[in-house]
Amino acid sequence: MSEEKEKRKEKEEKEDVEELREVLGVVSKEVPALIKSIIASVFSEEAGRDMGKAAAAFYKELKDAGMPEETAVKMTENYISVFTSLGDILKGVGKKGKVIISTKEGEEIGKEISEEVSRKIKEKLAEKRREEEEEDEE
Amino acid sequence: MKTWSETNMKVQSIIIAGLSLIRLLLSLFALWLTLGWKVRKTRRAFEKQLIRQGMAKKDAKKLSAQYSKMKNEIINSLKGSLVRNI
Repeated sequence: MSEEKEKRKEKEEKEDVEELREVLGVVSKEVPALIKSIIASVFSEEAGRDMGKAAAAFYKELKDAGMPEETAVKMTENYISVFTSLGDILKGVGKKGKVIISTKEGEEIGKEISEEVSRKIKEKLAEKRREEEEEDEE
Repeated sequence: MKTWSETNMKVQSIIIAGLSLIRLLLSLFALWLTLGWKVRKTRRAFEKQLIRQGMAKKDAKKLSAQYSKMKNEIINSLKGSLVRNI
């Protein structure tokens, strides 16, 4: 009886090892293939040419509309950056549902906002003071 | 006391896991090696289209630098997730 039990246990273990071999085989084959196909959809000659065509058409339209060179280039850069923000999306996926903006980035954004707000307040106060002085002079 | 068969199974499982991990890492390494070359080709095709529409070469290069930036971001996020999971 116990011999039979041992044999069954051994058989189960063998099946487990086989299953593990299959699972790991699939993972080690499929994961790189998946990453490869994602990368190929962005980094390939054809993808670059298509994106280049879209960006070039956008740039040409701006130029034809009489936009200055510098502004047209800047706007085209912004247009492309929408597409290339894929890296940010991947970063977000890697963090498993956490906020996409990192603490460091958040701090930088916060600093920029507070600097901009204080600059605007100072400007407004200076403007107000100037108006009051002008009124006093009158 | 563990039987010879049990130990054997465990050793087999560890070897299988190790081999699969090595295979996975080698594939990722090969991907990383070819990525730089792919990015260069993509950038060149992208710049060509912009230059054809009258953009200065310098500006086209500046715009195509977004691809290199994106490549670095993808590699960093992959590295991060690998380090977190291993």
